Amino acid sequence: MMEKTLLLVDDEPGIRKVVGITLSDMGYTVLEAVSGDEALAIFHREKPPVVLTDIRMPGMDGLELLRRIKAESPETEVILVTGHGDLEMAVQGLKLEACDFISKPVNSEILEIALKRAMDKIQLRRRMREYTDELESRVSEQAQKLVELERQCAAQEAVDGLTQAMGGLAGEIAGEFAMFNALPCLVSIQDRDQRVLSANQLYRERLGDRVGLPGFTIYAGAAGLGLDSPVARTLRTGQGQKSREGLFGPEETLSAVTVHTAPIHSAGGQVDLVLEILVEAGEVQRLQDELHTTRQRYQQLFDEAPCFITVHDRSLRIQAANRRFRQEFGPATGGLCYQVYCGSERPCFGCPTLKTFEDGRSHQTEITVRGKNGDPVNVVIWTAPIRNAAGEIEAVMEMATDITELSRMQDHLASLGMLIASLSHGIKGLLTALDGGVYKVNAGFRANDQDIVQAGWCKVTELIGRIKGMVLDILFYAKKRELQLREMPAADLAAQVAEAVAPKASQMGVAFVVEIDPDLGNFTVDEGVLSAAMINILENAVDACRDDKAKTAHTVSFRARPDCSGVFFEIEDDGVGMQPDTLARLFSVFFSTKGSRGTGLGLFIAKKAVDQHGGRIGAVSEPGQGSTFRIWIPREK
Amino acid sequence: MAKKIMVVDDDPDIVEYLVSIFKEKGYATCSASGGEGALELLESERPDLLTLDLEMPDEWGPRLYRKFSQKPEFKDLPVVVISGLAGIHLAIRKAVATVNKPFDPAQVLEIVERAIGKP
Repeated sequence: MMEKTLLLVDDEPGIRKVVGITLSDMGYTVLEAVSGDEALAIFHREKPPVVLTDIRMPGMDGLELLRRIKAESPETEVILVTGHGDLEMAVQGLKLEACDFISKPVNSEILEIALKRAMDKIQLRRRMREYTDELESRVSEQAQKLVELERQCAAQEAVDGLTQAMGGLAGEIAGEFAMFNALPCLVSIQDRDQRVLSANQLYRERLGDRVGLPGFTIYAGAAGLGLDSPVARTLRTGQGQKSREGLFGPEETLSAVTVHTAPIHSAGGQVDLVLEILVEAGEVQRLQDELHTTRQRYQQLFDEAPCFITVHDRSLRIQAANRRFRQEFGPATGGLCYQVYCGSERPCFGCPTLKTFEDGRSHQTEITVRGKNGDPVNVVIWTAPIRNAAGEIEAVMEMATDITELSRMQDHLASLGMLIASLSHGIKGLLTALDGGVYKVNAGFRANDQDIVQAGWCKVTELIGRIKGMVLDILFYAKKRELQLREMPAADLAAQVAEAVAPKASQMGVAFVVEIDPDLGNFTVDEGVLSAAMINILENAVDACRDDKAKTAHTVSFRARPDCSGVFFEIEDDGVGMQPDTLARLFSVFFSTKGSRGTGLGLFIAKKAVDQHGGRIGAVSEPGQGSTFRIWIPREK
Repeated sequence: MAKKIMVVDDDPDIVEYLVSIFKEKGYATCSASGGEGALELLESERPDLLTLDLEMPDEWGPRLYRKFSQKPEFKDLPVVVISGLAGIHLAIRKAVATVNKPFDPAQVLEIVERAIGKP
């Protein structure tokens, strides 16, 4: 389309000529039409941007032409030329979006203004179109900028996330001490041109906002030139780098840093970005010191904790043991836990450590172990898995708390309740037998048979004796009884005991040998408690002989002899003897081999009595050969 | 011939008690003090009813019961459990009755009579 082409429409040749010349002078190429129809034809052919038309024309008038042109090409500007008194038509023309109107005779200045206005309008419209067309490319341009911005944000997030992850990792390594959170790392991500895309806060604080600037200029020496910077080497080799560099600080100071880099690959496998981490050398030293202190603190905690701590491998070998453990159980490292702890040849039943190896969870158990001097120690054991970096369970830690005292008290409390349950069987048996005795007495009376009455009465008497003994046992056990100490000749007590047991032995046909050293001396004891304990053991010895059908004759020996600080008693029988497992549980509460005849309290009480006197009690036995109990009582408690 | 009751209990006093109760009523009796000997005695005496204690030093009542009740000739032998253990009524499910110690002699005799009739 020609820039300054104009269609002039007028039916009067004179006007066409004058105006045409004026327009040509103005620099327009003028197309002329004599009627509306011709004008339309030329318009179709030439598409002039401006049309100047007379309103009054024969045939198609100017308004009609305006309407048609605007219908076809709204952007074409139409200027109307009006005669005198055609104002109304001119207004109509403006309504039909004529650009302007000028009146005849045509003043060249007014014409020029009208044309300029038309041209301005066209130009404005053209610019607007250009803008519209541009808009799309502008949007995509802005979108690209946004993407770039997003990318930077993502990189920033990556840096922050990484710093956090490293903090977390370090925290894990150092346990609860989160000292690595304060790790003074300067972290940045740089692109292929070594420009900083993103940096963590510390980096920004220390080195300023360097986003968009080359990352290597912070370095002294060759690295500072960019060719041999850690990032450049990473880009060149595709490998992570570690090096020591000089770092320019404020006021031209120079400090040493350790630089780690790691390549970040794009989807195509290219090194797209490089992660750079700077650690100041001085800080590394400080952190190492701190780690050392922490380790020491752990070791101290490990050693001083008021419980036994051990670390076990899969074969239950002890890898580490704390001081408390070594004190109580001897040097243990390298030994098998069940040997060191329990003196047994196989893992304990329900071993919590094995369970933890299996399921990775913490387990708890309560067992009795043996200390260095052989004394039983009741412990509660908690376990915890120790995992390696890959998350596999490498070892299990056992923490054992000594609850011997506690379980002693617990034993006492629990057994008060247990008494009822545990003893009811025995008591019911006794009561039933007592019924039997009474029944027999009654039967004797009914039959008027003195012998039956006598036999029944013997039964009743015996059973009442047994019930009495049991009730006393229970009372003794249930009540915390203070010892009533009195100094007395040990020989007197021994004689009392022997006297009390002799009838039972002879009744059972068991020989009873008493050997009491005449120089036993005095001791300070609770006569009742101690003699009851010894009678109990002696009666057991007689029972053991009665139960032994393998031999025809049996002997129970009761010996007493002095030693430098106390009196030693020995009770020996050649009865049925005991199996090792019986022997092991001998002095525990409610353990009885006697079925309905035993309360399970006798030996427990005997041991308690001896313990109360500060003495010692022990037993040895061979199944089928007999048993020997030894009791030592100090002269003064 | 009188019907025979066999008493198994580890406490000789209780054995004697039960035996005398049954004898006075007119039943024949025999007794064992535990698992040992009980099976042989069953074979030789062929009782009509058995009273059984559950907890004995050398044998656990329910196990003894399983041993002899597997034999066809004792499969239907009526068993009365007499025990001091709490919560025992399900220990031997086929028992005709479970009696707790100490027991009422009249109650035991009534159970026996219901199970095997008068002597």
